[in-house]
Amino acid sequence: MIGDGLLNVEGVSRRRAGRAAVADVSFRLNGGEVLGLLGVNGAGKSTTLSMLAGALRPDRGRILLAGKDFVAHPGLARTLVGWLPESAPLWPELSVDEHLLAFARLRGATRAAARRAADAMVARLQLEPLRRRMAGVLSQGQRQRLGLACALVHDPALIILDEPANALDPVQVGELRKLIRERAAAGAAIILSTHVLGEVVAVCDRVAILHQGSLRHDAPLQGDEGGKALEATFFGIATGNAA
Amino acid sequence: MTVLAVTRLELRRLAVRPLAWALAALTIAWLAWTFILGLGQFVAQQVKYAAVADAPGFTDLVAIPLLAELAKLAFLVVPLMTMTQLAGERRNGTLALLASTGLPPWRIVLGKYLAVLVWLALWLMATLAMPLVVGLESTADWGKLASATLGTALMLATLAAIGIACSAATSFPAIAAAMALIVTLALWTIDRGAQAAGVNGGFLEWLTMATHLQNLLRGLVTTADLAWFALAIAFALTLAIRRLGADRERQ
Repeated sequence: MIGDGLLNVEGVSRRRAGRAAVADVSFRLNGGEVLGLLGVNGAGKSTTLSMLAGALRPDRGRILLAGKDFVAHPGLARTLVGWLPESAPLWPELSVDEHLLAFARLRGATRAAARRAADAMVARLQLEPLRRRMAGVLSQGQRQRLGLACALVHDPALIILDEPANALDPVQVGELRKLIRERAAAGAAIILSTHVLGEVVAVCDRVAILHQGSLRHDAPLQGDEGGKALEATFFGIATGNAA
Repeated sequence: MTVLAVTRLELRRLAVRPLAWALAALTIAWLAWTFILGLGQFVAQQVKYAAVADAPGFTDLVAIPLLAELAKLAFLVVPLMTMTQLAGERRNGTLALLASTGLPPWRIVLGKYLAVLVWLALWLMATLAMPLVVGLESTADWGKLASATLGTALMLATLAAIGIACSAATSFPAIAAAMALIVTLALWTIDRGAQAAGVNGGFLEWLTMATHLQNLLRGLVTTADLAWFALAIAFALTLAIRRLGADRERQ
């Protein structure tokens, strides 16, 4: 047992396309913490996040969510996990409003509760002008905001965001950071996967770096205001010159 | 109940996609034309049949051939309706998103299957409305019509289950539709070789869908035929559920 955080990842491994995409990864995350997950392309970030979201099963190891084995209790994902996958997959023929209602209902909300949750997300992410618009005609940035709203509509305890700032303009990036800090302050544990080191420095409490499927670094970010130390660590790991 | 949440979501998607409307409009127009032709012939032959004892009536000459025509169209329509159900979702990345809501594969499969069944039931009812309206003013054989309707409904449900299973097997909707078409045609005619060789009865005849549908279209409802359809539906849906479950293992 590594600890008693909201999320305990214990020795998780997963092979994909005949190679170890994720190998023996372990970490812990408490409620209110924001973890930045860094790594070059193919480092295993998306595979790790897919396993944490319940879309992929680990070959080895355990994922404990609120103390329960996630594989043995896949229903935990229904209420506890919100996931924004990379490129925010949506149903092009459904409107923004229909997406939010559908995701809330799929997470088990009643019709009235789903309506309230959808209204709250529309207001919080400023989606009101887009409410009746089909997802298929939204811009990439608008799709990203809708994907984020769908991930948060049921107020999950664990929020998994894969490249959430993709295609967002600087104002929206600022809003996203505010939203992440707001959710963390409300007690949610957040994992933010990104290629942008500045994004991690701006909102994360801790950073984990994956390289070739292994967790090479997991440490708090305090005292690294400019992100210089993080940059040095990241490039050291990515280029194989880590101390 | 999350099965119904999936069904509602799927029905909403069907309602706003042009494919479902186009298929419904074109096929119902074709069936209406078939019905009018059949009705015209039936009226024209009334004098001839009036002198014959136990002559075939409106149900045999108009209503059941109309259902048989719908069954023929279903070989094409149902694979087109089911092809995107899981294959399209997998291709768009929304299937992983559905899986991440903690829904077990059986709920996703059942929810989508029910949505297709609702569409097919409406299609069948729109078709059935034609002979029903005329039948109310004539001497229809209601028992035979009910049996034929049950048989057609079971056939549609079986084709839908096979379509969902094929859609679960691939990421390409067109391949799913082609697979469903081939599998259902094979299931329809699997005993043809045996019949050509003069062999009747046996396992191949039992396996053939036509054997069981034809009994129902003739007004003969047997437990064995109903059980065949139930088994075929359960088998196809089980395959779909297992394939979806394997996605989480082997992606």
